[in-house]
Amino acid sequence: MEDVFHQPAVWYDGESAIRHEGEAHWDGSDTLSLRGFSGSMEVDFADLVYGEERGGELVYRRSSVPDFRLILPEDLPAGLAAKLPAKAIYGAWIDRMGLGKAAVILGAASVAAVALFMTAPEWLGPRVPESWERNLGQAMVGDMGGRLCHTPAGDAALAKLLAKVDPAEEKVRAGVANIGMVNAVALPGGQVMLFDGLVQDAETPEELAGVLGHEVGHVRERHVMTALLRQFGLSILLSGANSGMSETLFGLAAMGYSRDAEREADEFARKRMAESDVSPLGAASFFERIGGDAEEDKGGEANAVIGWVSSHPDPRERAKAYRAAAKGKTFGPVLTEAEFQAIKTMCEEDPDVEEFDFGFF
Amino acid sequence: MYQEDIQADSAFGFDGNWKDFAKIALPNLLLTLVTLGIYRFWATTRERQYLWSHTRFVDERLEWTGTGKELFVGFLLVMLLFAIPVFGIQFVAQALILRGYEAAGAALGILPILAIFYLTGVARFRALRYRLSRTRWRGIRGGSDDQGLGYGLSYMWKTFVGYLPLGLAIPWSMTSLWNERISKMSFGPYRFESDADPANVFARFLLFYLSPIIFFIGAIIAGATGALAGYGLGGEEGMQVGIIGITIFLLLFFYIGLGLIAVAFYAKFYREVVGSTHWKDLHFGFEASTMDWVKLLIGDALIVVFTLGLGFVFLSYRHWKFMVTHLEAGGDILLDELTQSTTATARHGEGLLDAFDIGAF
Repeated sequence: MEDVFHQPAVWYDGESAIRHEGEAHWDGSDTLSLRGFSGSMEVDFADLVYGEERGGELVYRRSSVPDFRLILPEDLPAGLAAKLPAKAIYGAWIDRMGLGKAAVILGAASVAAVALFMTAPEWLGPRVPESWERNLGQAMVGDMGGRLCHTPAGDAALAKLLAKVDPAEEKVRAGVANIGMVNAVALPGGQVMLFDGLVQDAETPEELAGVLGHEVGHVRERHVMTALLRQFGLSILLSGANSGMSETLFGLAAMGYSRDAEREADEFARKRMAESDVSPLGAASFFERIGGDAEEDKGGEANAVIGWVSSHPDPRERAKAYRAAAKGKTFGPVLTEAEFQAIKTMCEEDPDVEEFDFGFF
Repeated sequence: MYQEDIQADSAFGFDGNWKDFAKIALPNLLLTLVTLGIYRFWATTRERQYLWSHTRFVDERLEWTGTGKELFVGFLLVMLLFAIPVFGIQFVAQALILRGYEAAGAALGILPILAIFYLTGVARFRALRYRLSRTRWRGIRGGSDDQGLGYGLSYMWKTFVGYLPLGLAIPWSMTSLWNERISKMSFGPYRFESDADPANVFARFLLFYLSPIIFFIGAIIAGATGALAGYGLGGEEGMQVGIIGITIFLLLFFYIGLGLIAVAFYAKFYREVVGSTHWKDLHFGFEASTMDWVKLLIGDALIVVFTLGLGFVFLSYRHWKFMVTHLEAGGDILLDELTQSTTATARHGEGLLDAFDIGAF
């Protein structure tokens, strides 16, 4: 005859709070019979689910009666213990694998995921279709709400300048923004903005051509999308949602490109200028000027200049590269004096242009 | 008839120890790190299983039946239903502002703030409901049939009204919200009831409310006295030393003194609200004095500092133990009448609460 196990047992039926105390009998079959003063019942082993371990006791549940509880002592006879559902510690496959091995595998997967996430802008950015970027840019910035300066002569001169540095069929959209800072930005969706401060600061149209070519380079080399993705990733990480005009604009302006991207944009600008017979010397003297300013000047407008320069490679290095590109060549003027003046007075003479109200928020 | 008279002994007991808890908390920390935080839902569940199973109410231990998966699903739901719409609204608000519709953009930007205010209340309610519905005692659970949506509105207007009379109605809003929340919860067949009276905590609140004003006046007098005393002792230089001394004293008061008074208020508040809570013929009590709270918080700080931050994993253990050891209950329970709860159970966890990082109480 087979052994019959008797184990002290406590159970709750899941319907009331009454505690049933008695014994669990097992005769080797597929059911466990619970016998006590307050009632008896049979439970299929297959119905039992491991609950938890608590202070020297094991708790089992029933899948058919979720709130049923069977409490057995921890030191069960081996035969009965093997029949009961196995203990779970960390849950599912971590238990099967072991903590150490699971931690190593999960750690490796996490490092790979982080690496993928961190480098995603670099390889994903250039692969985003340009039409998507245009739509995104349209959704994000639109037409800047009438804050771009327009005069017929100025628009024509700017279009002529743009044609020299952006020979592609579908041009980027360029505009002069009514902002006094010495800065220029490439916005998502192939929109390039020269700030009026930079226009006023420029001494020759070649300087403007250099800066415009550089920003067009960012658009054409898909740096904007890359930077946007990086910014987006950062904002997910920091969960920082910024609001307001100024933060958005400065957020976009300060998106920051890598130094390689800056060099690529410069190379793009020099190539286009060489093709269109535009002198790179203007750009060179621009960089020399702001490079000098950054060192000497500390007050007023110089801060804005430093802001632009700081995210870029050393301006003197860049000036040298532009000068080198001019060696042994002669160039015609890119714009007539009248055209240059038309761009310079665009903001002054546009009656409808709106102010950038940075103080609104 | 089974009847428990629990007045003889403390109804709640805790028999866990920090070494056993460390065996859960430290592997949890490791797995959370290598999964970039995803494991934390399962980690929370394992911690609660330990804490609940080492907590005794009368003659039986509690049991936590929540799962990591449901917490994870709750978190994903919040991300889907809340975080993404908020992100979208922010995007649209920005686009509106950039197009020149500042007012519309700003109004739209306020929407998520209102939503967060409302959902904070809903989250508090649902977290308590979730925790009760996942707690078993003798196979019986708690819960609520209320979704907490109405409570969210109460939370908004009561909090707002509480601040209206220069913040003097805050004790009313706090106790009233406690009463409202608790009275909608049940365990087994019976509802909880609470009739906490703001009048009982108002004196402590006034202490917190008035002390900065009294101290400000005192500070001016003390500052003048300190300066004069310093002047008397060491002329001009002495005056400066006197002023610096008083400033340091004031800063210490501001952070430590006001903090202490705030703790004194919360200690009184929890004694009042828990002491006013009933469940059928059972009444509860919470006996932690201000000194107990101070010791808890100083202990927390010391543990975290001396373990270089690693000790934060023990804080949930300390807080739970603090709560259980100071919780009292008296009265009768008729176990025959104590049947299973019929409340609906939420299928997903405390996602909202998790997202806003607030506790159930």
